Amino acid sequence: MTPVLALHDVTVRYPAGNYGCREISFDVFPGEVLGIVGESGSGKSTVLACANLDLVPTEGSVEILGRDVSRTRGAERRKLRAQALGIVYQTPQQGLDLAVTAGGNIAERMFGAGHRSYRVVRERARSLHAAMELPCDRFDVAVRTFSGGMRQRVQLAKALATSPPLLLLDEPTSGLDVSVQAKTLDLIRRIQRDHGLAMVIVSHDLAVIRMLADRVIVMREGRIVERGLTDQILGDPQHPYSQLLVASQLT
Amino acid sequence: MSAFAGLLAQTPASGYAWAYLDEESKREVRRALLKAVCIPGYQVPFASREMPVARGWGSGGLQVTLSIIEPADTLKVIDQGSDESMNARALRDLIVRTTGVATTTDAREASIIQTRHRIPEDPLHEGQIIVFQVPIADPLRIVDARSSVTRRLHAERDYAPLWLYLYEDVATKGAPSFTHSYPVQVEGGYVMAPTPIPRHDIPRLCEAPFLALYGAGREATVYAVPPYTKVTPLEFDDRPFTVERFPEPCALCGASWTYLQEEADVDPPRYVCSDVAYCRRRRSG
Repeated sequence: MTPVLALHDVTVRYPAGNYGCREISFDVFPGEVLGIVGESGSGKSTVLACANLDLVPTEGSVEILGRDVSRTRGAERRKLRAQALGIVYQTPQQGLDLAVTAGGNIAERMFGAGHRSYRVVRERARSLHAAMELPCDRFDVAVRTFSGGMRQRVQLAKALATSPPLLLLDEPTSGLDVSVQAKTLDLIRRIQRDHGLAMVIVSHDLAVIRMLADRVIVMREGRIVERGLTDQILGDPQHPYSQLLVASQLT
Repeated sequence: MSAFAGLLAQTPASGYAWAYLDEESKREVRRALLKAVCIPGYQVPFASREMPVARGWGSGGLQVTLSIIEPADTLKVIDQGSDESMNARALRDLIVRTTGVATTTDAREASIIQTRHRIPEDPLHEGQIIVFQVPIADPLRIVDARSSVTRRLHAERDYAPLWLYLYEDVATKGAPSFTHSYPVQVEGGYVMAPTPIPRHDIPRLCEAPFLALYGAGREATVYAVPPYTKVTPLEFDDRPFTVERFPEPCALCGASWTYLQEEADVDPPRYVCSDVAYCRRRRSG
């Protein structure tokens, strides 16, 4: 089976000489959820930026659906993102235009993918809006007026608008309060199962990882220090840093 | 040299170069225009000069006209369809006093038509050049004011933000809100600002026999649409572009196919042709 996303020995070195990440390799297969954990500064977001084709690896390669796309730029990257990738950022203003309606934010991705029928775009956006349990009467309202939890759900709807096989999530619930966080995680899990999505979820919150991820990689100082099944890593961590991470959870 | 001296002798305004700009400046503008014609709809930067009209008052169109004009040309200058408005008169006066070219109000007889906000109602023919004065050259300005961003969007032909703008208009207002400057795509490539012409004039740009040149003085860019080039308004497949409709025909000449403007200062208010010369010729038979 071809992995949806594969990183091969990805190293990002910045001009100053410091490393964003070093020799990162992993595969994500269709329908599989990979969690990336680690403290802030460990390189989680750098890895995600490479997967989203925002960063070009200094060494190594990024493959999407078996094709090396690490050096794709410009119109080709835009097309590839529209077809293959969806992303949900921690802060909604990164992924959304807050002055634009919920429907418009979802529609934009479809226009990027070449849709030119108003009716088709609008109906698809409306059904995604409803599927994310957003209130119908807020469909034509600017996202600026939305709560944090609602904004994250608009981001999810936007990411799913072109039915990509791969969804990237960067701390999707970190800015939300606990009850909204639980609802949003439920929604993400349901979407993932319904669509058979491959997902990469980056989080410093092990509860989020426990709930969603099938496999986990633990990062520290830009390197992978441990990898394995979620239950195995969170239940029986081997590496001293993983043990520290698991032990330092608040209960 | 002697031909040039001969031209100078005909010039009514002394102390100025023929056609106001010096020859090197005109060459530079013409070079930019040649590039613009080769890449239809693409905004080509040029070294916009200080002109004796303020930027925003037709300085771009004026530089284009002065750079391409020849002694044998016949000139028409209009502003909102009128040859007699203050702006049109001032620009025409400057061009005539520094070149001595013949002028006309009949669009069919002009070899160069400099215009603000309209295309004349008369069908134009091959060999004619229409020069548009451009207030905002970049159609993407309304979605992002940073030229670093809009240049990249143009380079990638990424017009999703404009489609989103249209979507938002239709979703929240029922229809696209552009009353003028309706964005158009040139031969399926670059999206271009047609300048603030009414929607009525947009279909008349498509496959037109004339050469359209656009000059933006403040933004220091020129762009062009060569003859017989496809120019299409951005429209959803299921929401066709529409032109303006008027409640009644022209109160003066009775035309029902022209672009009309409301005269609100007469009682009762009435609609008359915006193209004054066309309307007047119809009335005089």
